[in-house]
Amino acid sequence: MKISLNWLKQYVNLDGVSTDELKRAITFLGFEVEGVASTGLPPLQNVVVGEILTRTKIPNLKKDISLCTVDVGAANGGVRSIVCGAPNCDAGNRVPVALPGAVLPSGFQIALRKTYGHESQGMMCAPDELGLSGDHAGLLLLPAATPIGQPINEAVPGGDTVFDLEITPNRPDALSHIGIARELAAWFRKEVSYPAIKFNGETHGVRPDILTDIKVEAPKDCPLYIGIAISGVKVGPSPAWMQERLKAIGLRPINNLVDVGNYVMLELGQPLHVFDSKKIGGRKIVIRHAHDGEKLVTLDAKERVLNSRMLVIADEVKPLVVAGIMGGADAGVDETTTDIVLEAAYFRPQCVRWTSKKLGLASDSSYRFERGVDPHSTLEAAQRAVDLLLETAGGTVVGPSFKVGGEVPWQREIVVTPAYINEKLGFEIPADEQRAALEALDLVITHEEPTEKRGPAWTVIIPSYRADLDRPIDLVEEVLRVYGTEKVPAAPAIGPALVDAEDAPAVVFNRKVTDYLVGQHFHECVNYTLRSAKELKTWVSDTAVQELGLLNPFVEEQSHLRPTLVLGLLESLKLNQSRGNHVARLCETGRVFMEINGTVHECAGVGFIIAENPKARAWLVREQPDFYAVKRHMEILAAEAGIDLAAQPLVPVTGAYWGWQEGHAVAAGEMKAGWTARFGLLNLAMVRAAGVEGKVWAGMFALLSGNLTADTTRRRYQNFSLQPAALRDLALVVDVARHAQEVRQQLLRVARAAAGTAFAVESIEVFDVYQGAGLPEGKKSVAYALSFRSAERTLTDDEVNAVFAKIQQEIVADGSVTVRA
Amino acid sequence: MQETISAILAKAQPELAALKTRAEFEAAKARYVGPNGEFTALMKQMGTVPKEQRPAIGKLFNEAKAQLQAQLDATVERIAAAEIAAQLGPAVDPTLPSPDAGPGTMHPLTQVREEMCRILRKAGFTVADGPEVETEYYCFDALNTPADHPARAEQDTFYFPESAKFGNIARKVPGEKYLLRTHTSSVQIRTMLKGEPPIRIVSPGRVYRRDTTDATHSANFHQLECLYVDKGVTVRDLKALLDYIFASLLGKDTKTRFRPHYFGYTEPSFEVDLSAKHLPKVNKEWIEIGGCGMVDPSVFEAVGYDPEVWTGYAFGMGLERLAMLVYGIDDIRYFYQNDVRFLKQFA
Repeated sequence: MKISLNWLKQYVNLDGVSTDELKRAITFLGFEVEGVASTGLPPLQNVVVGEILTRTKIPNLKKDISLCTVDVGAANGGVRSIVCGAPNCDAGNRVPVALPGAVLPSGFQIALRKTYGHESQGMMCAPDELGLSGDHAGLLLLPAATPIGQPINEAVPGGDTVFDLEITPNRPDALSHIGIARELAAWFRKEVSYPAIKFNGETHGVRPDILTDIKVEAPKDCPLYIGIAISGVKVGPSPAWMQERLKAIGLRPINNLVDVGNYVMLELGQPLHVFDSKKIGGRKIVIRHAHDGEKLVTLDAKERVLNSRMLVIADEVKPLVVAGIMGGADAGVDETTTDIVLEAAYFRPQCVRWTSKKLGLASDSSYRFERGVDPHSTLEAAQRAVDLLLETAGGTVVGPSFKVGGEVPWQREIVVTPAYINEKLGFEIPADEQRAALEALDLVITHEEPTEKRGPAWTVIIPSYRADLDRPIDLVEEVLRVYGTEKVPAAPAIGPALVDAEDAPAVVFNRKVTDYLVGQHFHECVNYTLRSAKELKTWVSDTAVQELGLLNPFVEEQSHLRPTLVLGLLESLKLNQSRGNHVARLCETGRVFMEINGTVHECAGVGFIIAENPKARAWLVREQPDFYAVKRHMEILAAEAGIDLAAQPLVPVTGAYWGWQEGHAVAAGEMKAGWTARFGLLNLAMVRAAGVEGKVWAGMFALLSGNLTADTTRRRYQNFSLQPAALRDLALVVDVARHAQEVRQQLLRVARAAAGTAFAVESIEVFDVYQGAGLPEGKKSVAYALSFRSAERTLTDDEVNAVFAKIQQEIVADGSVTVRA
Repeated sequence: MQETISAILAKAQPELAALKTRAEFEAAKARYVGPNGEFTALMKQMGTVPKEQRPAIGKLFNEAKAQLQAQLDATVERIAAAEIAAQLGPAVDPTLPSPDAGPGTMHPLTQVREEMCRILRKAGFTVADGPEVETEYYCFDALNTPADHPARAEQDTFYFPESAKFGNIARKVPGEKYLLRTHTSSVQIRTMLKGEPPIRIVSPGRVYRRDTTDATHSANFHQLECLYVDKGVTVRDLKALLDYIFASLLGKDTKTRFRPHYFGYTEPSFEVDLSAKHLPKVNKEWIEIGGCGMVDPSVFEAVGYDPEVWTGYAFGMGLERLAMLVYGIDDIRYFYQNDVRFLKQFA
């Protein structure tokens, strides 16, 4: 909201207050100053009025440059010689002259200097050089009667300063010049002078040809409606002073009727509307909800389709105005208007807000109504408008005038003790200063009563325009605002708190996996959560795409929740590749959203990619990454969530979705168990389509963070054997599709059963895999190294051989495994 | 005898010198000093030597044996050295760069977040977590932001269709809409509903606004909020904590100030300005860094705390803004592009 300083000064004396001080005051009253713009002449030193006495063209120059003699007054050194290039530096003209020592608004310093071969003892100025608007066509010509030698700020009328303020939604009372004046008066401890109201409601005759009736059919959305008829107005331009103020804050003057409406709104905060009576069908105003599908072309020439939640001001047959928001194109005043009806009303804020949003139509008026105007000041605003209408457009107030509703009187008191305020603040503001602060805001303390523990209690009367003040805590802020929030003192260092809590398990998990991956040479990335439907279709089913969609995306590229971190990482990889950055390892943690049977689960996610870089050159060639490198990372990440991935069944990824390469990637876990993992090679075609070069391996782990618990297990030492191990190798022939891990589990079970309590099967590890000549078609041989150990003694060959023979005998029992000879 | 000894020694010397492998050496050694070796055989003839010659011959044998052993030792040493040399290969050029991956890097947003959490941990705050998909109750209703409040408008908040089902995020109010949280204050509500005061939490996390992406705005960004609930918490305590945080993060010369402001869930409410004369780009004037205030009694009522008993403060700030300040970054989009030339700068 824009506030003009000149305008403000009508209501509060701000003499001697600099712009900076004002800005500071407004800021610390709680209104952010988003901009300060000054119009007119800024204060200038050493710039005076001079008269050009002579003008002599300097010969032999390409440009038209003159040497002038200029009288700047005896006090300023009399006649000076000044070089000037302006076309209008003619003898007899009175112009601004910047003397040596002057600093122009651009920062240019005036000094004696030689230019075009002559000494110039100053500079004659064009409007823009003095900080006035734009013109550089010639010197600023002053009226012939302007006294020579007069300081320029006295000769040229001062400008205005306009503050652009952000008013918080709790303070609709500050959406006017009076509102801001009240606040500044409190800050500077000045009085507010409200505009005097002359109109006392007196009407002259009854004119049913102007207005017959006002009927409020929707009292809930329009609790108060005032209509006043004025006959015989003369439409014309509003007076210069009014135009100047409207222009200062960026409003275009239209005519006296419209301008008065705007002026009073900006002065008092109450939006008004002026009807041309002859455009009111039946001369009857009806405040009602619109009919569904009812249409109205608003002032901005757009046809609006209304519905029954929207409030309109209508005549007998048609809507004229969308209540509180904008008038109809055909209902406004024009040059032919002679009789008018002035509307001052209070509309329910929620109704105006809903309608404004629904129609995508906002105005200065709707802005105020939806935040809430003060219904107890509506009549006063109407009266003020009548005064200004009569003053600027003439006419006579005629009957009947209407006031419908608004009968709820305002009464609000808050009881508060100064001790309570100090208690909340944590420092002492003396009671008399508190009282002064409240009273400066017109929060009147009517009486004081002692309380048992907290000293005297004040009963504070809240004015009707401060509906935001309702509880004692609200007055704490008021006192502190006027006292000065800057003065909140520093406090001693904070003592440690005895709050028995730990960081959330999900946070700890996140920290651990990030630390691990960064330690493994990954660059941690941060990508947007929202992604496009098109991209998601390469990754999840159509059902999932649908379930992950937002109701109201802002842009198409960010319309869906991400089901994986891999897509973002791929995009980061592509960006780096396209910028010529060699990068192989990227990781990210963050929320991912997993759709299972139409239900979405928000999961904590950790993902990484390892990219082959086909363009990288190195003097020493390293092994390329592979599936098993990814697998190890995944096992370690899963372990941080307490999951033993190696012990989990792995399902090969198949099919068109998932973005993974069939035969080179697997899935593990399920949402029912609280987690899922996918890892391996990314689908080469998808990667290529995404614009990424080379093979990319990836891992993605997602879990329900609610399942994570803090690991508080205290580990216990377990005895370990100092005896030598006995080793045996065993090659088993199984189907090619059979999982090595599954065979290992089977072997482990059999081996443990065979060894019984005699000694331990310490480990079984794969050390070789073979497929091809010497083996039947569709079979592979997996070789395991078995390690046996006793806690007490060195094992003998005989006892180990006996167990090993038993293992070989048992392992083939189910027929799925044979022992390779 | 003496000639024979000399002949064996003369033969052994070139033969041993020519040996290349440990196996050849063992074979050669056996030929001379093994049970059937030449030298061993000769030693066995000692018995046939006349008694009076024995001391002289014995001395000869001992000398020869020592000589032969020395030759054998030298040979095995030479072979072992050759083996090690073969195992080592040529010397490395230590000045060549390692072709392996350089150090990983933690994202600057993570670093600032973790630093703030460490600073706050010292003041007794632990990290709390909550979902990014929220319901209207946790994000708005409980925070004194009623249904018709402008902050809830569709144009500012991402909502989900009414049919949306989230398995692990329960609705508080039947039929309420799911949305993407617009602030991390919803974590405060969840924490207060779950636990009992006193409470000291910091909740860093991702939040969403329906907004254009430009140099200072992003469709999702990160906030860090703190909540303290206890008896007798004051405005001054809030100021003290903020002073401590920013002095810890940005240096002792950092100052903070309050400006009155409005938030539905705090009363009184303030915006916090920073002044850090020692930081480039922000050394000229106060810059806004976050919002704060004393927890509004209506919020305590919503979570079932007695506002007559409990008091508290809350404050929040944007992590991106903080990171931009700490590192001097001038465009928020860099955080989300993940150009490694950017990421590596903060390692």
